[in-house]
Amino acid sequence: MKAWTRRQFGGMAGATLLAAINPRIARSDTKARVVVIGGGAGGATVARYLASSTETIAVTLVEPKRRYITCFFSNLYLAGLRPLESLSHGYETLAQHYGITVIHEPAAAIDPVAKTVGLGGGAQLPYDRLVLAPGIAFKFGGIDGYDEAAAQVMPHAWNAGPQSELLRRQLESMEDGGVFVLVVPPDPFRCPPAPYERASLVAYYFKQFKPKSKILILDAKDSFKAQDLFEDAWARHYPGMIEWLPDQFTGGVMGVDVKARSVLTAGDTFKAAVANVIPAQTAGDLARQAGLADESGWCPVDPVTFESTLQPGIHLVGDAIIGGDMPKSAFSANSQAKACAFAIAAALTGSEHFAPHLFNSCYTFFSPDDAFSNAINFKPEDGKLKAVNTFVSKLDESPETRRNTAQQAVGWYAAFTRDVFG
Amino acid sequence: MKTACSLLAGLVLLSSHAGAVADTSQGAQLAATCASCHGLDGGDKGIPAIMGLDEQKIIAAMLAYKANERPNHVMHAIALSLSDEELASVARYLADHERDGNPP
Repeated sequence: MKAWTRRQFGGMAGATLLAAINPRIARSDTKARVVVIGGGAGGATVARYLASSTETIAVTLVEPKRRYITCFFSNLYLAGLRPLESLSHGYETLAQHYGITVIHEPAAAIDPVAKTVGLGGGAQLPYDRLVLAPGIAFKFGGIDGYDEAAAQVMPHAWNAGPQSELLRRQLESMEDGGVFVLVVPPDPFRCPPAPYERASLVAYYFKQFKPKSKILILDAKDSFKAQDLFEDAWARHYPGMIEWLPDQFTGGVMGVDVKARSVLTAGDTFKAAVANVIPAQTAGDLARQAGLADESGWCPVDPVTFESTLQPGIHLVGDAIIGGDMPKSAFSANSQAKACAFAIAAALTGSEHFAPHLFNSCYTFFSPDDAFSNAINFKPEDGKLKAVNTFVSKLDESPETRRNTAQQAVGWYAAFTRDVFG
Repeated sequence: MKTACSLLAGLVLLSSHAGAVADTSQGAQLAATCASCHGLDGGDKGIPAIMGLDEQKIIAAMLAYKANERPNHVMHAIALSLSDEELASVARYLADHERDGNPP
């Protein structure tokens, strides 16, 4: 047993005193380390809530992009209703106000045995717990001829940023009377109502500037959520402009001809003035490379802690997980991220962990002043996330209610992005 | 000894106010749900700010949402998910906290 000298004791007392004044700095060498990969709605929220729920965890956020452009609300940008800059968020507040170490490099590899993350620049980041929020990857190859190069001509715009700008430019330069073809992927995909919101808001743009144009939706499904609400809104706002063709009608989208800018279904060829092809999706690359996805291509997790059921010590939130009844949305990711952050804080610091409250709410625009919302609460049950109560706007709501919902949506965006990025 | 204790208490207070406030209480964990829509730093465009509201008023409003006497399906879903104990805990948390913009 070590004998304490008066000098050593004095030194320790000094360190304790310093820790009391500024625990974040003084305890840095003994802090538990959490590395979060991915700075979207899920990852940034985990980092922010972990950093502020305890001062004894050192949080590192790995995200190659300096600015994050939100997919949510990017349909408003496509319709010319919002500048892309208004959807762009930096990581400065997370770094400066919350003391999160933000590293703008891609994560290249995960070693779950050594518990390290290899960065693109070659550095190794050690961790006690790792959180992945890698979002989606596209399954190129499902549609013949549609690959990353084709996406430069027929954009998916299902990640916001350059793809959104490309699609917006194409819509702006399209001549009146053209056909906008929108290819909707099979379930599950990021933000289930978004393809139909996109059709609505592009129709809003056409109605003002290119009223002879048409919108053709080629769907991999035979029905979609809130279909009655969309069809009612399309008939009211954009009569005759939007045509929706289900899978059972077309036999499915088989391929694209990039040069001719046409989309091929089982029985037809649809010539597009602008084609927006949204491919089928899977969990982000790193999650699959690290063995965190199952045969479905998505990542199974514990619904209370969001720890991988395939790899202990690694948690996942957001679009990449098998969310049970929770849709792949930014709101779901943010809600899961908080449950995950509190679970990790409890595991690493012994803080109390309460039953998580998981929630999703989505605002969807038919036009700038006609929006609907849904709200669902979830609870973990038998290892899955089950919906408990589901509420959706009603068909017969007054225009005033819909206008209020549209205003709430704008307020929600401001509050939500503050909740994610600080 | 008394002096040392008050000094220590002072330091603990100081540390809890440095930077983000560390709080993993039940109220804080529940209030995190509110922060997804309500600007906790006082922004209330379209959706009202709720930090610092009277505790009893919050409970009364939430019970009205729960019973659907106040129609709003987002708040109805939230209210239905809260037990009486959880509602009391989150109302106390919101009432006690300033609009500091930090996560609950």
